[in-house]
Amino acid sequence: MNDSHRPNDRHRRPRASYNAGPEGFSDGRLVEVHNQLARDKEEPSEGFSLLPVFVVFLFCGFGFWAGLYLTRNSGDFNPGSFDLDAPRAVADNGPKEFEPDPAKGEKLFVANCASCHQPTGLGVAGAFPPLAGSPWVAGNEERLIKIILAGLAGEIEVKGAKYNAAMPNIGAGLKDAQVAHIATYVRQAWGNTAGPVTDAKVAEVRKKVGSRGAYSPADVLIEYPLETK
Amino acid sequence: MSQETPNSRPQGQGRPQGRPADAGSPRVSRVDASVASPVKFFFASALLWLLVSSVLAVITAVKLHLPGFLNGCEHMTFGRLDAVQRNVFFYGWASNALIGLNLWLLSALGRFEFRNGWIATLGGLIWNLALTAGVVTVLLGSQNAFELLELPRGLAPAFFVAFLLAALWPAVAFARRPTSQVFVSQWYILGASFVLPVVYLLTQLMVLWFPTNGVLQALVHSWFLQNFLLLWLGASALAAVYYFLPKELGTTLNGYYLTTVGFWTLFLFAGWTGPATLLGSPLPLWIQSSGVVAAVMLLIPLTITTINFFGTLSRDSGWSRSWNNTTLRFVAFGLVAYTLAIALQIVFSARSLNAVVRFTAFTAGQQQLLAYAFVSMVIFGAAYFILPRLTGAFWPSAKLVHLHFWSCALAVVGSVAGSLFFGWTQGAALAAGKPFAETVAPQSALLGTVCAVLFLIGHAAFAINAFGMLTSCSSSTDEGRHA
Amino acid sequence: MKNLNLILAGVFFTVAAPFGGLLLSGHAQLGALGRAPAEEGGPLFPAKEPGLAIQGRQVYLELGCVACHTQQVRPAGQGKDIAQGWGVRPSVARDYVLQSQVALGNRRVGPDLANYGARAKSDAEIAAHLSAPAAGSSMPAYAFLFSPAKDGSLQPNERGTALIAYLKSLRQDYSSPEAKLKQ
Repeated sequence: MNDSHRPNDRHRRPRASYNAGPEGFSDGRLVEVHNQLARDKEEPSEGFSLLPVFVVFLFCGFGFWAGLYLTRNSGDFNPGSFDLDAPRAVADNGPKEFEPDPAKGEKLFVANCASCHQPTGLGVAGAFPPLAGSPWVAGNEERLIKIILAGLAGEIEVKGAKYNAAMPNIGAGLKDAQVAHIATYVRQAWGNTAGPVTDAKVAEVRKKVGSRGAYSPADVLIEYPLETK
Repeated sequence: MSQETPNSRPQGQGRPQGRPADAGSPRVSRVDASVASPVKFFFASALLWLLVSSVLAVITAVKLHLPGFLNGCEHMTFGRLDAVQRNVFFYGWASNALIGLNLWLLSALGRFEFRNGWIATLGGLIWNLALTAGVVTVLLGSQNAFELLELPRGLAPAFFVAFLLAALWPAVAFARRPTSQVFVSQWYILGASFVLPVVYLLTQLMVLWFPTNGVLQALVHSWFLQNFLLLWLGASALAAVYYFLPKELGTTLNGYYLTTVGFWTLFLFAGWTGPATLLGSPLPLWIQSSGVVAAVMLLIPLTITTINFFGTLSRDSGWSRSWNNTTLRFVAFGLVAYTLAIALQIVFSARSLNAVVRFTAFTAGQQQLLAYAFVSMVIFGAAYFILPRLTGAFWPSAKLVHLHFWSCALAVVGSVAGSLFFGWTQGAALAAGKPFAETVAPQSALLGTVCAVLFLIGHAAFAINAFGMLTSCSSSTDEGRHA
Repeated sequence: MKNLNLILAGVFFTVAAPFGGLLLSGHAQLGALGRAPAEEGGPLFPAKEPGLAIQGRQVYLELGCVACHTQQVRPAGQGKDIAQGWGVRPSVARDYVLQSQVALGNRRVGPDLANYGARAKSDAEIAAHLSAPAAGSSMPAYAFLFSPAKDGSLQPNERGTALIAYLKSLRQDYSSPEAKLKQ
């Protein structure tokens, strides 16, 4: 350092050089030699020729890790999640609060029930009873859930008309939440004004029903008499 | 600049066939002379700002343990002096010096005569006037709440235009000269000179002129800060390292073909790392996590610069030779600091570690490691190489060079190590549940003051030496330019 | 890597990517965020600052308080801010929607102030702290925010009163849709 703070010192000092002349690089030579290196891509020293492969693997590894990290720590890309521990805490507190969704209910109703009861909920005279304005679907929700889960067989009187056809146990193949959506829809569509049904309630009724076959309307009425005629 | 002076650049021996004969050393001198006046202007103003910043740093350091010190009037409040010191250091010292350094490097590598040097000087003049106005405004009582955006927004157009004139336009002019050969330093300078004005403009618009909603301002600001530190200061200083290592050692760079990957990955990921400095802030988790991922990705450019630099230095007793070369001693110091700084940034973007050190002195230490121990040390090294070639004079005193290196090196090691250590211990104490007031270590402020004084000594030594040289021979350079 | 126009284009892309990916998508998600009631039908939070507090915010900014004080409470899993008593819940983006310039800060030489208004006992206590900080504190005294009253005691002047009003208005102790208060 003592002797090299003067710009032309290197002229005097002979130095071991790698591939520049004894006077070091000129700027033009510096650029040229490195351009050559970039073209050849081959370093004189061995071992480094594997580096590009190594870098590619590094890239792939990083890409994989980045995807993993982002899925675990990005809070579902939700603008409202700020706390990494918050979603986990909610999950530990039990299942999320169920909100019956009439739109889902309508879809499920059309797929599973409308072939008999009709999308209008009016049923078919002499064959399938109406649901619109029916006292059977209003009132105690367990009655409706039970019928959906287990089915119904036997003569039934709805709004003064008699019907006699077997209803299969549609609900047995559906999830609690789906049954809840359907039940809520039925209780609130076509001018019906009964309260919503939760999935927890459906689960509770499903336990009571067990694996028994279809109810007869009389069985149902013993346990849950109609609130109104 | 006369051609027989000791500053004519040494030429390599083995010039390949077919090279134009007129590219000999006389022409190189004229290349130097074409940028001499703006480069000298930028270095001189950088030096003055460095002295201002060092004095302010001493005052703020003392204030941290003696809050009553110079607390008589409102304008000397810690909050204002601290902001002024930071802006003077980053915009006055580092940016001025890097604009000058980039100009010189491009002219040297492009072997291109720069015809309109006065335009760059004009840009520099506007830059310095804007900074002066900004400093006065902050002292008088108007500043923004964002680090390095404290200056009033009305000055942003001046800074923007100044930078276009002083750095971007010359960079493009140099880079587009008719030639087929390009060196890695030129990519970095071009990239850095392009990134800063674009990011600065967008940030000013989104934070100060038409503020975005709430915390988004902090997000935009973190984006700006990381771009400023890594892609303006960092990339410019890397350009200098890529030049001086092979130049002064006389060897080719190790693994040169990897530099392309290193360049693109640095520019690709650095811009995304902003949110990694805001972990735990009220920003959506996915934004924070993207920042963490980008910070970890910096491992790729870091690996490549490590192969390039340390590989080159470890051949042919490169370390000992750089220790005995003024320029390389500073540059090698700087690139060890760079490696450490990026490594720390990667490691401490891990959420659990970041939670410990965030908001403590640790992050300040990280910033100083990058902005001072790397960028400023590289600038010093470059100045020791460039200024004699521009002025045609020698450095007046070898003793002052020694004093400069040792006081600055000691100061920055002490200061960074102190910040990291006390920052970590405070963070650990807070994590252990200690009340905040009990975790503040008074020794850290004392150490800070000692280091600030050491910095001032080192910078004064450098300034005396440099101004001695700049003033002694300026007339001869002017003659040379007209010759 | 010889075509410098290509390099410029590439660098432009590297700037545009985080600008679009972070800033614009962030803006798309949170740009229109507004206030929300803490409970159904209740008043909207964050509450509007009184006029004096808005003036006080200006004093806070121009004195550079942000150099030493942050205004953000991290979640419990990310630092011990809540355990320090600096807040009752983590800060969320909605808390800052009314602020023309957010002063989140990134350095804590002193305590966090996000919820300072909720823990400050009285105007007099804040005034005492500003005019004569406790021994051992690295906070300077802000004598110029005070002027002597007729009875010789120091009373906050116009700017001092505004700053105190601002500090008292700093509250994040309400329930937010993103961060409910634990009952």
